[in-house]
Amino acid sequence: MRSPREKRPPGQKQYYRRKKVCKFCVERIDSINYKDVKLLSQFVPERAKIMPRRISGVCSQHQRRLNDAIKKARNIALLPFATE
Amino acid sequence: MRNYEIMFIVNPNATDEEIDKINGQLEAVITGAGGEIQKIEKMGKRRLAYDVDKFREGSYVLFAIGANGDIIKEVERRLRVMDAVIKYITVRTDEDVRRFEKIRSYRQKRAARRGSGERPASPAQSAEEAMQ
Repeated sequence: MRSPREKRPPGQKQYYRRKKVCKFCVERIDSINYKDVKLLSQFVPERAKIMPRRISGVCSQHQRRLNDAIKKARNIALLPFATE
Repeated sequence: MRNYEIMFIVNPNATDEEIDKINGQLEAVITGAGGEIQKIEKMGKRRLAYDVDKFREGSYVLFAIGANGDIIKEVERRLRVMDAVIKYITVRTDEDVRRFEKIRSYRQKRAARRGSGERPASPAQSAEEAMQ
């Protein structure tokens, strides 16, 4: 095991404020697939709108892929376009 | 030759044999024109997210094929004509797959340069765990 000191670089304190991180970058999910309803539905709240980046914290690259995937999934009725 | 995924929804009242018949027809079209079938998956009956032709559920079928534009055109025409098929989508997959491989090889190279296994070996697994 490494000591905890090694895990934290010296500049850590500066970034103390809680920073939103991109789920896909952190968990290293490469493929955002339109068939993966379980994953995609985390990013479509009740109204079935796509969750904006400022709320979910997803990075722009992954948000773009996510948008594509959600729109494909909507096309084949895996996700709703809108709910009443 | 490009890789595509064709997913379509069959009328929920269709029997298993009818679905198999549709699959057989499409298979014949694809292989007959020089395409290659990589996978046929019957994903079973699912609730649709919204009503399609007044159906609330449908049987999903997924084809993974290697083909070219002409074959796709023909397959889509067939799907449109079939009464039992209520919706379909074609997605090109080879570009995405290539991108993942690039990312993966880059990541491996980087991990090798660091020369230590401090990262979890299989990110997919940890992602699954997090989802549960």
